[in-house]
Amino acid sequence: MEKLTSLTSEQITQDLLPQKFGKRGIIWTGALILLCLIGAVAYIRQLKNGLVVTNMRDYVSWGIYISNFVFFVAISLVGSLITAIFRLSNVKWATPLTRIAEIIAVAAIVFASLIIIVDMGRPERMLNLFIYGRIQSPIMWDVIVIATYFCISILLLYMPLLPDLKILIKFKEKSTHALNKLYRFQGSFWKGTAEQIKISERAIRILCIAIIPVAFSIHTVTSWLFATTYRPGWDSTNFGAYFISGAFLVGAGGVVVAMYIFRKYYHLENYITEMHFERMGRIVVMLSLLYLYFNINEYMTPAFKMKKAEESHLSELFTGGYAIMFWFAIITGLIIPIIMLLFKKGRKPLPMFIIGIMIVVGAWFKRYLIVTPTLLHPFLPIQDVPANYHHYFPSWEEWAIAVGSLAGALLVITFFARIYPIIPIQETLTEKNEQED
Amino acid sequence: MNRKIKTKMLLFILTAIIATPLFICAQEDSVVKELVLNVNYHMNNNKVIYLLTNAKTKVKGKFKPAEAVPVNLFLDGDSAGNLISRVITDKEGNAKAFLPAALKIKWESSSTHTFTAVSEKTKDFEPANAEIAVTKSRITIDTLTDGETKKITVSVTAFNGTNWLPVKDVEMKIGIGRLSGSILTAGEEETYTTDSSGTATAELNKTNLPGDAKGNFVLTAKVDENEQIGNLLIEKTVPWGAVLKQDSGFFNQRTLWTTRFKTPYWLLFMAYSIITGVWGTIIYLIMQIIKIKKLGKAAGAEEKI
Repeated sequence: MEKLTSLTSEQITQDLLPQKFGKRGIIWTGALILLCLIGAVAYIRQLKNGLVVTNMRDYVSWGIYISNFVFFVAISLVGSLITAIFRLSNVKWATPLTRIAEIIAVAAIVFASLIIIVDMGRPERMLNLFIYGRIQSPIMWDVIVIATYFCISILLLYMPLLPDLKILIKFKEKSTHALNKLYRFQGSFWKGTAEQIKISERAIRILCIAIIPVAFSIHTVTSWLFATTYRPGWDSTNFGAYFISGAFLVGAGGVVVAMYIFRKYYHLENYITEMHFERMGRIVVMLSLLYLYFNINEYMTPAFKMKKAEESHLSELFTGGYAIMFWFAIITGLIIPIIMLLFKKGRKPLPMFIIGIMIVVGAWFKRYLIVTPTLLHPFLPIQDVPANYHHYFPSWEEWAIAVGSLAGALLVITFFARIYPIIPIQETLTEKNEQED
Repeated sequence: MNRKIKTKMLLFILTAIIATPLFICAQEDSVVKELVLNVNYHMNNNKVIYLLTNAKTKVKGKFKPAEAVPVNLFLDGDSAGNLISRVITDKEGNAKAFLPAALKIKWESSSTHTFTAVSEKTKDFEPANAEIAVTKSRITIDTLTDGETKKITVSVTAFNGTNWLPVKDVEMKIGIGRLSGSILTAGEEETYTTDSSGTATAELNKTNLPGDAKGNFVLTAKVDENEQIGNLLIEKTVPWGAVLKQDSGFFNQRTLWTTRFKTPYWLLFMAYSIITGVWGTIIYLIMQIIKIKKLGKAAGAEEKI
């Protein structure tokens, strides 16, 4: 914060304007595009040959596509956490993080929607939701809340961007002709008049209030896709709160990773400071402890009772075929981050970056463990089916599409950072002026 | 030379070793099996007369149905003029043939008849034949309700050429016909036997049996494989059952698991209130953006002036 007062407004503006890709940026973008293309080829194969190209069968009808969906939905919660909750709480230090959080949320929710369409097989079946939709169905609720959250996230990304678009138009020599056209189309009407600012601030405030219940709804409803069934491992009243706490954690972890990368590669040390990592570290450790609490609730309660239907599922997770993955997700995604973050040195930028990656990776595996193992323990024994129905390991097409979707989300974030300021310029300047006053 | 002879002998022995099992297998495949043929006479409700043919063969000590066997059925002699029908057995080895109208006169000309089944030779089966002699008969069913008591009387008569005479010692099942074809016995006994007057009586001791929408069910008497008269079946619908109340109300309820047109009102109210509230807010915010845009254009116009 103190660093801002030592910088001039011109310097702040120059630092925060979008920067062209360097060599590393081009390689990074190229790699992401390649992964997306491989995913697209795999998807074309799936469209042509059907879902038989996957290894999903009668029992495991939800595999890594749905795991990815739940993961994306979880990570999208960060938008409401950082942007909305911090704005409403007047947490000024979080200003540099709001746009990062919001773009992660938008990218994640876009690919959450796309991966669901991929999982459907025939994409035109999406229309059936609208032609034959039943409002009684949790799937219908999920479609509605995802669409709503996407719209609100787009608005929450766009409205605070308006003052920055004026700055981008002013510094047109810093961008290409095409980008200038884009900026003018999106925000040339923003003059920064008192009335415009008043309307904008009120609108942003309303958005911040509205997005919180919608974000809570999206995660609760997604959890109900599982919890409204009788299946062991899913039949839990804990799922709503469990999913929300997990979503807060993985979202915060994602933001920490993004903070480090943008700070390092765009040289934003004056804006994303060690203080930001320190404070995000405290938030992440609190969220980790909260998520650990819900995990204990989720697993210890049925383990204590060991109902017959739950027994084989829990044994499989704790000591069986999924034990390695399960304990990896818990230890890497929760225990180690908690231990590291309890110490001040653990809340420095590089350790935070590593912890952020561990949280995100652990969270992905955790979602996989929520979705797939339960399906391999139905109430009636699996019998009279081919041997490969007893197990599930994704095919190369599934991996390619899943990785492609992750690459796609990262590509959206990458392109956004190239086109728009990743840290709000006008808000930073306003805060600087407030500090000087 | 010795070497040549030895090579030739070796080749001959080798050929013999390989060819012998092949020859045996070929022989086994080409063996025509013996067929066991049965024919049974059926009459339903004193009107519908048909024959059921069954063909089977013994394979490794067990009987297996013989499929696709052509069988010719004859009435009183296996000449072309007496042909009832040519049938082909199904995968269960069964075939059914109804008595044609063309043989009606022949049927009515005598009180006893012989049905002959002759199977044709096929590549898998030898020809076989079966015969059954049947006396023309009738079965009737009558009911008597005396307060709480419900009696079912079944009479069996056989034609002797001039009169219909009662048939003694005919075993039968009397009861209520099930949808599956089996019979729920009316009283305590599994079967009933006709007395010297050719009647068998059963008392219905089962109460509160479900009927159809009008409270009817079907009483059935069935004679199975009687040597003299074959298989007979008679049915009568009686209003002795409980009226079946169709609970259509269940699927007309508004619940979470019914069709989309039967959503519970509370869910409709909640869902649409929330959607209206949130999307109303989104639309309001979009309108604010439009307002900001208009203000910007106005401010821009002022600047130009």
